[in-house]
Amino acid sequence: MKIMTCPVNGPRAISEFAYGGEIRSMPDPATCSDDEWADYVFNRNGSPGVKREWWCHLPSNTWFVAERDTARDVVLRTYLYEGEG
Amino acid sequence: MRLPAQPGEWIDRTTPLGFRFEGRDYTGFAGDTVASALAAAGVSMLGRSFKYHRPRGLLSAANHDVNAMMQWGGMPNLRADATPLAAGMDLEAVNTFGTLERDAGSMLGHLSRFLPVGFYYKAFHGKRLFPLWEKMFRAMTGLGKVDFSAPRQRTPKRYGFCDVLVVGGGTSGLAAALSAAEQGAQVALVDENARLGGSTQGASELVGKVLAHPRIRVFTDTYAAGYYADHWVPLVERERITKMRARAVVVAAGAFEQPAVFRNNDLPGVMLASGAARLIRRHAVQPAGRIVLLAANADAYQALADFIRAGIEVAAVVDLRGTLPSEQRALPAAHDIPLFAGHCILEALPSSDGRRVAGVKIAPLGQTQAIAELACDGVFMSVGWAPAAALLYQAGTKMRYDAGIEQFVPEKLPDGVFACGRVNGVHTFASRLLDGERAGSAAAAHCGLGGAKPIAVPTETDSPTHPWPIVPHPEGKNFIDFDEDLQLSDLENAIQEGFDNIELMKRYSTVGMGPSQGKHSNMNALRVLARATGATPGEVGTTTARPFFHPVPMSHLAGRGFTPERRTPMHALHEAAGAVWMPAGAWQRPEYYAIHGLTREACIEGEALAVRQGVGLIDVGTLGKLEIRGPQAAEFLERVYVSKYAGLKTGMTRYAVMCDEAGVVIDDGVIARLADDHFYFTTTTSGAAAVYRELSRWNTLWKMDCGIVNLTGAMAAMNLAGPKAKQVLTGLTDVDLSLPFLAVREGNVCGVPARLMRAGFVGEWGVEIHVPAEHGARVWQALMQAGQAHGIRPFGVEAQRLLRLEKGHIIIGQDTDGLTTPGEAGLDWAVKMDKPFFVGQRSLAIIASKPRPRQLVGFMLPADHAGPAPQECHLVIDNGDIAGRVTSIAWSPALQRHIGMAYVKPGMDAAGSTFAIRLSDKTLVSAEVAKTPFYDPDNLRQKEEA
Amino acid sequence: MPWRLLRFALSKKHPEPRMFTRHDRLKPAYDVVIIGGGGHGLAAAYYLAREHGITNVCVLEKGYIGGGNTGRNTTIIRSNYLTPEGVQFYDESVRLWQDLAQDFDLNLFYSNRGHYTLAHTDAALRTSRWRAEVNKHFGIDSEVVGPEVVKKAAPMIDLSCGGHAPILGALYHAPGAVARHDAVAWGYGRGADMRGVEIHQRTEVLGIGVVGGKVAGVRTNRGNIATNKVLCAVAGATPRILDMVGIRSPIYIHPLQAMVSEPVKPWLDPILVSGSLHVYISQSARGELVMGASLDPYEVQSTRSTFDFPESLSAHMLDMFPFLSNVKVMRQWAGMADMTPDFAPIMGRTPVEGFYLDGGWGTWGFKATPVCGKTMAYTVANDREHTLITGFGLDRFRNFALTGEKGAASVGH
Ligand SMILES: Cc1cc2nc3c(=O)[nH]c(=O)nc-3n(C[C@H](O)[C@H](O)[C@H](O)COP(=O)(O)OP(=O)(O)OC[C@H]3O[C@@H](n4cnc5c(N)ncnc54)[C@H](O)[C@@H]3O)c2cc1C
Repeated sequence: MKIMTCPVNGPRAISEFAYGGEIRSMPDPATCSDDEWADYVFNRNGSPGVKREWWCHLPSNTWFVAERDTARDVVLRTYLYEGEG
Repeated sequence: MRLPAQPGEWIDRTTPLGFRFEGRDYTGFAGDTVASALAAAGVSMLGRSFKYHRPRGLLSAANHDVNAMMQWGGMPNLRADATPLAAGMDLEAVNTFGTLERDAGSMLGHLSRFLPVGFYYKAFHGKRLFPLWEKMFRAMTGLGKVDFSAPRQRTPKRYGFCDVLVVGGGTSGLAAALSAAEQGAQVALVDENARLGGSTQGASELVGKVLAHPRIRVFTDTYAAGYYADHWVPLVERERITKMRARAVVVAAGAFEQPAVFRNNDLPGVMLASGAARLIRRHAVQPAGRIVLLAANADAYQALADFIRAGIEVAAVVDLRGTLPSEQRALPAAHDIPLFAGHCILEALPSSDGRRVAGVKIAPLGQTQAIAELACDGVFMSVGWAPAAALLYQAGTKMRYDAGIEQFVPEKLPDGVFACGRVNGVHTFASRLLDGERAGSAAAAHCGLGGAKPIAVPTETDSPTHPWPIVPHPEGKNFIDFDEDLQLSDLENAIQEGFDNIELMKRYSTVGMGPSQGKHSNMNALRVLARATGATPGEVGTTTARPFFHPVPMSHLAGRGFTPERRTPMHALHEAAGAVWMPAGAWQRPEYYAIHGLTREACIEGEALAVRQGVGLIDVGTLGKLEIRGPQAAEFLERVYVSKYAGLKTGMTRYAVMCDEAGVVIDDGVIARLADDHFYFTTTTSGAAAVYRELSRWNTLWKMDCGIVNLTGAMAAMNLAGPKAKQVLTGLTDVDLSLPFLAVREGNVCGVPARLMRAGFVGEWGVEIHVPAEHGARVWQALMQAGQAHGIRPFGVEAQRLLRLEKGHIIIGQDTDGLTTPGEAGLDWAVKMDKPFFVGQRSLAIIASKPRPRQLVGFMLPADHAGPAPQECHLVIDNGDIAGRVTSIAWSPALQRHIGMAYVKPGMDAAGSTFAIRLSDKTLVSAEVAKTPFYDPDNLRQKEEA
Repeated sequence: MPWRLLRFALSKKHPEPRMFTRHDRLKPAYDVVIIGGGGHGLAAAYYLAREHGITNVCVLEKGYIGGGNTGRNTTIIRSNYLTPEGVQFYDESVRLWQDLAQDFDLNLFYSNRGHYTLAHTDAALRTSRWRAEVNKHFGIDSEVVGPEVVKKAAPMIDLSCGGHAPILGALYHAPGAVARHDAVAWGYGRGADMRGVEIHQRTEVLGIGVVGGKVAGVRTNRGNIATNKVLCAVAGATPRILDMVGIRSPIYIHPLQAMVSEPVKPWLDPILVSGSLHVYISQSARGELVMGASLDPYEVQSTRSTFDFPESLSAHMLDMFPFLSNVKVMRQWAGMADMTPDFAPIMGRTPVEGFYLDGGWGTWGFKATPVCGKTMAYTVANDREHTLITGFGLDRFRNFALTGEKGAASVGH
């Protein structure tokens, strides 16, 4: 089974984790257009590549960021979320 | 014939085992395989082929002899060449029509000219007749039979860990294991054979060292079923699976000896030289008395020595090569064995009964005229190898074709994966030792243990594999794939029809798709395609090697079977009270409590009546129970639920609806404010885990000053409801029970710290009591006892569904679906669009600007409705079109009529108007839109200060 | 023995021509370029040629035809969907399937086995009724049946499923069928080829030229092509092609895995699907049990296998059929499923003029192969959506008007 490294709990079997999708920044709902909002809600960056993703270590309920190459399923780096930028 | 004792033989001659095959009794020894015991008894026909039902025997004796599959009671498809003999076995060949001896299916062999490659695509598809043909195909197809009475086997699994996993216990694997272990690695060494040593003699010294090494764990009779990400390799043993996590993997899996292709190369008695050698060395069986050895490499001559030693008469050595090294010529010369260099076997000749090889015709390579015919009862072939590279491919190894040795070898290995020995293109004994040592050392170094030894492995000077061991014959029956009964012409014809790509050829001809998964056929098929298209084997490439290396029994894969089930602390009490269980996600909940002599409906109605007229108690402990604390707790809740909570007074509760970002209702519950910065709230049973997780994610993202805890398992919860509920509770709690509707209080119940929430879900005066899980049963019991005088009844999910329906409360997931917005579900009142933000708000604003596609309404059937009532999910029909559906419906004892909820088209939702519901039998039932709550419309009962 | 096999016995040389013409080079221009030589792309080519007389068409396939999800799927064909648009669309497909083997003169082993969606919970039973009622409304043969009917169709089943997921009933769909997946691609391919369509294998599209919002040409590893119409039918590669034309979509890619057992004598007639146990199973004409489960839980854009998959699928198989303990699993594999948020496809025109999309086929698109070919050919030929696909447009997301198919999709094949 694949191994994912939780920044708090260390390397664990992937079955202990939940995938939360790519980290996407929310447009300002007050100022964005309807189309921009719909794009945020529904559209995804569906092509393979290195993505910043949400992952949760379930037993400890730790959400963190994984940088993962989705073409090869290789986790390059994991770390706790520190905000954007 | 059984030989005298062989050095290092695997059989135990002191333990004879009796068994039956095709109705006849035989005896073998412990340590025999089924096939070796039968070979010792002189049985050479072990099965029939898949398509033509031709007699077949042993080929490899290495677990890919698919034509020697047997049925033993409920066990289908036992491979005779790899199944240890057991006393009392009663075996039959699979897939015969009649018996192995008299197989009516063998007439198909005569029809083979009518059955070209892919013949089944070319006919039988008449629309009317196909079902009949298909029946016939289904009667012919398949191998063993499943036995419906076979028991479920629960096979254990365990986890293993090691630094270096070495797959293959032959020469190079042994060397690799030793060198890795000597560098300090914890090593696991696996081999599918019962003993280490592989196919070569001479490794016995190494075997001793490996077995004695404290850091090497040996798994024999075990195969690595596949390679999965991060060096995760399931090791399949007879009685268990070990899921091995390695830090590095050395693949030393060797190579499969490949058959030569000539007419009748499938006759029993025609087998791989390595297979024959196995029978001799391991099982002391002489597989034939007089053989012709078909050779094309050094291995053939090593095997020849074995054959001579075993007293086999060698009629001739036929070598495909024109010139061969003098040391290879020496052995036949020394024994006066005629050597036909540059010759091939044109065809094998069957015995008069067709059941065994009786001779061969020999011709110079490339010529079609035989120059000699030799009698023999065995043809042993050693013409080349195909790497056992499945694990390497699965790990993502890039392979290349090495023309020097006519073999695919690893070009670029993935991180932490190593290869050595024959699979790495290294065939000479001494080189394999070196290559193993090199790979083992490198693997240990990969784990941070020592440095990789610089070891140069000499390249092979002599190709172990012939590039074209294939002899055409006008009459065919020169088989490339024994599993699938494919002859050379089948592949050539597939190519002619345009299936000239390795994958297309495979899919059209089915080459390599049988149970041995191409172990003996893929390489020859690839060579045929390469030659036909003028490409090199490297350009043609291989098909994808997917798991499993050998098929794995479902019992092993399934393991013991683990289906966790969640139970509330009151489970045993419900059980004792006659609960009929229903699953709710992972939980078990009482659907209702059965009373002897009463129907299900009567029980449920009785429970509901108890709540309406007396008092009832329901276990609601499966609800998600979360707690949030911190200065920004209220603000957080306002962001994730559609209503407002900042203004919620401490000591009060409020209904809560959650949407996703698209504005779809996904959960609901009740939020209780315990302090300014402290809330306790519930979610649906099935949503609990997901809601907790999603809220935690939002909190990670927003970094608000508050923390969320999941108390779902830590708290028990029950709802005491009914006009007499207060009387029951009085005396059991220190909380002032004049608390108003929707209030929450902390206090004690039965001396246990509790949270009490005045709830109205079922529409009577009620309190939800939440206590630490360990006290749940005690409190429940105390309430039941106190309620006895008031006729208390426990009620289940069904009664609650009815009671809430009478109150017009929706159930998420039943009255909503994957697209329902709050407005559609009649929850507009809860949605506060004037908040600065909540999840789903912006989407709801967009949705609000569009016409609403549907509306959930309450409805009633006429009080005098007779005949069957609609059921949930019956459709609302308007002018012949679908206009909605019923989401909930029940007979209301309180209203004495059917009530329900349904989605209808906008414009159909005016109270008092009617619509039609269509039953399964197509009759239409008229329903009237009704205001909710149906029962106690002003909600007086639940609020009432009793 | 059918007489048509006689010619094979009588002729000395194998009397069959190539099924697909080999074309050594691409032409500089085509009226229509179809990306993807899966069932969908080849079917669209076939109907463009057969029904619209458009034959200056090429199908570009980066690997070999049928090598994508077409050749990896578990081939369940049914029309018992939940939404009116879904039901009518798939019903038309099932109708086309019935005549396909005749049309192609190629046996597709289209095998009408009957399809049971097992319900283990009352919620699943409710959904079954919903589907049955919608199906019947459109004249489709579906009904809710009790456990005893399931037992009759598969007498060896353990109705209690090991005691933890008793079967309460099922949605029975008589037209449910399976077919030989590869042959479908070959049949459409040969039919298109015979009518003049060029099929180019090992030809990968690397870029799409868009000028002034209109498709102008396609760049491949074998050279450039001028064209004003491109149909994208690449399933798991859809987002990559959409990136080439700058279209955003909700499509996301998760692997879907499957496995087969060693051949055993046929014992299972119907197709069984269990949402609660995440199992679907049928037995092929080769005697193999073809088994699948639910989608992998996270994005991976490769066809790697996991061991968890055969482990959990086998456990659930044995819940239903405990006697299979000794039956062996021979092979597992995976495909890349192009998923959408509402479990319905995305079909039709796009904001780029001349760029037509047939994607979002996820775990359910094999059964739609004929109807997709037909409706997409119509759409490309007329530059207007066929009425059967108007509900599947890309703009439904922008308009917050998703289809309701998700409501019934526990295991959505
Ligand atoms: C395991 C599994 C089980 C399934 N089970 C079922 C089922 O039971 N029933 C059902 O109805 N559906 C099922 N499906 C779904 C179904 O297989 C697919 O939806 C359907 O086959 C899609 O067909 P297609 O022709 O659109 O795509 P594909 O067959 O994937 O064809 C797309 C082709 O495009 C090619 N391509 C991609 N990029 C390029 C490029 N840049 N240039 C050139 N060519 C390119 C690919 O090589 C591929 O051959 C299953 C899917 C999987 C993976």
